[in-house]
Amino acid sequence: MSAIVGKWLALHSYNVRICHWINVIASGYLLLSGIHIFLDFPELYWGNTGYQGYPALFKLSDWGLSWDEAGALGNRMWGRNYHFTFAWVFLVNGVVYVGWSLWTGHLRTRLWLTRPEMTMAAIATDARQHLRWQDPARTAATTYGAIQRLSYLLVLFVFVPMMLLTGLAQSPGFAAAWPWLLDIFGGRQSARTLHSIGTVVFVLFVVIHVLEVVLAGAVNRIRAMFTGRFAVVSEER
Amino acid sequence: MTQRGTRSLRPRRITRRRMLASVPALGALATGCSEVGRPPVVRGGLIGAADVFTMSLSRWAQADQPLAREYGPEDIAPSFPTWGQTNPESEEYQEHVRQGFRDWTLPVEGLVAAPRSFSMAELVGMPSRTQITAHVCEQGWSAIGEWTGVRLAHVLEAAGGVTADARYVVFHAVDGWYESIDMFEVVHPQTILAYRLNGADLPVGNGAPLRLRVERQCGYKNIKFVRAVEVVDSVAGLRRGTGGLSSDFGFHWFGGV
Repeated sequence: MSAIVGKWLALHSYNVRICHWINVIASGYLLLSGIHIFLDFPELYWGNTGYQGYPALFKLSDWGLSWDEAGALGNRMWGRNYHFTFAWVFLVNGVVYVGWSLWTGHLRTRLWLTRPEMTMAAIATDARQHLRWQDPARTAATTYGAIQRLSYLLVLFVFVPMMLLTGLAQSPGFAAAWPWLLDIFGGRQSARTLHSIGTVVFVLFVVIHVLEVVLAGAVNRIRAMFTGRFAVVSEER
Repeated sequence: MTQRGTRSLRPRRITRRRMLASVPALGALATGCSEVGRPPVVRGGLIGAADVFTMSLSRWAQADQPLAREYGPEDIAPSFPTWGQTNPESEEYQEHVRQGFRDWTLPVEGLVAAPRSFSMAELVGMPSRTQITAHVCEQGWSAIGEWTGVRLAHVLEAAGGVTADARYVVFHAVDGWYESIDMFEVVHPQTILAYRLNGADLPVGNGAPLRLRVERQCGYKNIKFVRAVEVVDSVAGLRRGTGGLSSDFGFHWFGGV
């Protein structure tokens, strides 16, 4: 006779859990306040110059929301105050997370792509399974998958620095101090456009992340991110 | 960059401030005590702490007083936008417009050794500075223009120089707007009272006859229609006491971000 027995596995450390939820709050505020700032000037340009009437790359009015309607939705004063506040929360939290992950080996053992996963074939297999909605092992998985690791690493070491730098490049004070900020992005308006594209990338990341959590067992996954304990279900003879 | 006039325009009495400004504000990140890294009024809570962190980091990065980038004539925007107040209604101002600002005077008051007024002719006759810079609006737009004006530090020196307890310079505008900057910005070579844009007299829409250019801060600190300059040790007594109309509303006093 076989029976289903459950057992708790300590899955997420304090650091991962605390940093994760602080990050949810900080990036939530960054997104919301960023949208508020954008809505008060809903056009994007390239180069150093861009203003109403100058050739734009993107106009929200082309997508059905007029300048005045967008302006009525956005409050840039609130947006600026909260954006620059939660940028600090986000940054300090991120530094704590990465620092701790380096210190404990979390980065090396759980996030870094290990050798067998580093092959394109392994990543392709993982991708195929995702695309076919085949996630047989994921509901029980207690390690990050290859694509998951890759995406977390890209967010940590490519996306976040890009957002930080494109943000700083828009500041007249920091651009005066570090003019290379303007050079690497090709101007202030280019930096603003890239920052906005980054916002879309971030929203896509969150949508996929939440979708994956749901597919991999929402209750167990989200509970584990609060309590640290993950219910392992196994069949016993 | 073109810079006419060779004499040093740095008011001697600001030297103490300059020394203070050159001290890396990094320490202020921890203590929030250094005045170059702190707005006149620190707001409460997390927002106030973030203000001090942001300003301290920005001032630390600018400790050696770098110039804001200057561009070439080919970068000048085809038309420079006008924003916010573009034509003050006051009858007195409109009379000055009709007369081409012939009788416009700029009082320089407060903590200067010899308070006095300057005529436009006097200001235009002082050594001028021309700079092609990007005007960065906090709303999101930016445009490059060529500004010509007199260094603020030179005007203050012409009024006897600031006294030792001077901390802020307040600009009063025609339409009731006011803004203030600290000595760190006052001594900067690109901080000018501009009277020309792109080679022509400053248009009314851009703040005729005088507007502040403080190139390392956002557009709203570059106050238009300047009608008086006041040097103070504290901004507490002005209106709501935050040091500017935009910060009275709730914007950052430090417009460097």
